[in-house]
Amino acid sequence: MRIRFKLDGQDVEVDVKHTDTLLKVLKDKIGVGSVNFGCGEGSCGACMVLINGRLRYSCLTLAGYVDGKEVTTVAGLARDGELSEIQKAFLENDAAQCGYCTPGMILTAKVLLEKNPTPSDEELFDALAGNLCRCTGYIPIINAIKSVAKR
Amino acid sequence: MSLIASGYLTPANVQEVVSLKRKLRDKALVVAGGTAAVQLISKMIIEPQAIISLEKVPLNYVKIRANSIEIGATTPIARLIRSRGLPDALKRAAESIHGLALKDMATVGGNIFTPAPAGDIATALLALDAILILRGGGGVRSVPLSKFYKGPLQFNIRPDEILTAVKINKPPKHSAFLKQTPWKYSGPTIASVSVSLDLDRNGKARRAMVALGGLTTHPYRAKKVEKMFTGKKLTEQLIDGAAQQLTDGVEVIDDALASSWYRRELAQVLFKRILYDFISRG
Repeated sequence: MRIRFKLDGQDVEVDVKHTDTLLKVLKDKIGVGSVNFGCGEGSCGACMVLINGRLRYSCLTLAGYVDGKEVTTVAGLARDGELSEIQKAFLENDAAQCGYCTPGMILTAKVLLEKNPTPSDEELFDALAGNLCRCTGYIPIINAIKSVAKR
Repeated sequence: MSLIASGYLTPANVQEVVSLKRKLRDKALVVAGGTAAVQLISKMIIEPQAIISLEKVPLNYVKIRANSIEIGATTPIARLIRSRGLPDALKRAAESIHGLALKDMATVGGNIFTPAPAGDIATALLALDAILILRGGGGVRSVPLSKFYKGPLQFNIRPDEILTAVKINKPPKHSAFLKQTPWKYSGPTIASVSVSLDLDRNGKARRAMVALGGLTTHPYRAKKVEKMFTGKKLTEQLIDGAAQQLTDGVEVIDDALASSWYRRELAQVLFKRILYDFISRG
């Protein structure tokens, strides 16, 4: 089946199987670099994207679901080559080490701050519970998000 | 249904889902939030000929009435957290689902079918004596959640039926839910306990419902404990005695996450925490 959707603002058309996950289509068929396969079961968040602005695990989303919708990856947050505020904050706070979890962390942070611009530590940890980082120990990530929350 | 030839079906309403279910039966996989169903495909456990996606079926609602609560099957967990007037047990279970994305994707209906270590919402609903509304070729059927699980991944549902809603009649006045995961903010459920209580004027339990999750494939009711409580005033002695009966005659999961001994002990601890807290508040 052929699906059409917007990927980071660009129109995309691609042939998929009804059982293909969005992650597989983005990574293997379209070649998106910022979505990663981690656990395949919604624990690690490495595959996260926004679908019509809502945070989704692309490994748990079937490709058919995005037909006619808008998919945003972390790359889509930059405007005219300029990083978004939250992306800059991750850089400034050394919140990425190997970078595998970073796209999911940034997208989660973006959605959290839209809903709750001044999250408490407890709310931050709760929101990030679906994202796994094995390098940073989370503190630089928390600091990056807090630095945006403060502004 | 535009994508009918494609294998990815997006029926617009319950009637269309039922007619697809009648035609395709178990050859089609019903997908709501996808958090459990899509794993069946990606882990190559099943290879469905078609997907029946519920994304366009209007079953995302919470209706709070004077003496009952009805929740649509595709209502995401996040909506339970936002809704006012839901029993504490359900609210706490919803809050305990980890991370923003999972809360926004996972649905109430999906959770009922998902085996341990998932099933937190199902555990809370079981303690609230919820009733499932099923729609099929033969019409509408109500099945108490306590009679829905026939065995591991075996449900009291017919091949042409879908779950459309969950109903709680006469929501109990007091309810609670506690679960334990391997680490604080996330992870699979090792054990969960949910308790609902109605007391009479003298503080005696008129109705007591106790559900345990994470110990078996699907949550179960500790009927023996409920009987011990009914008509009695809750005391530490009664609670301690009841705790020892929670897993009586139950074959508790023993796996890499936790031994069955640990799960049994943990269930008792959670149960006592809930009830001690309850009696300490008078």
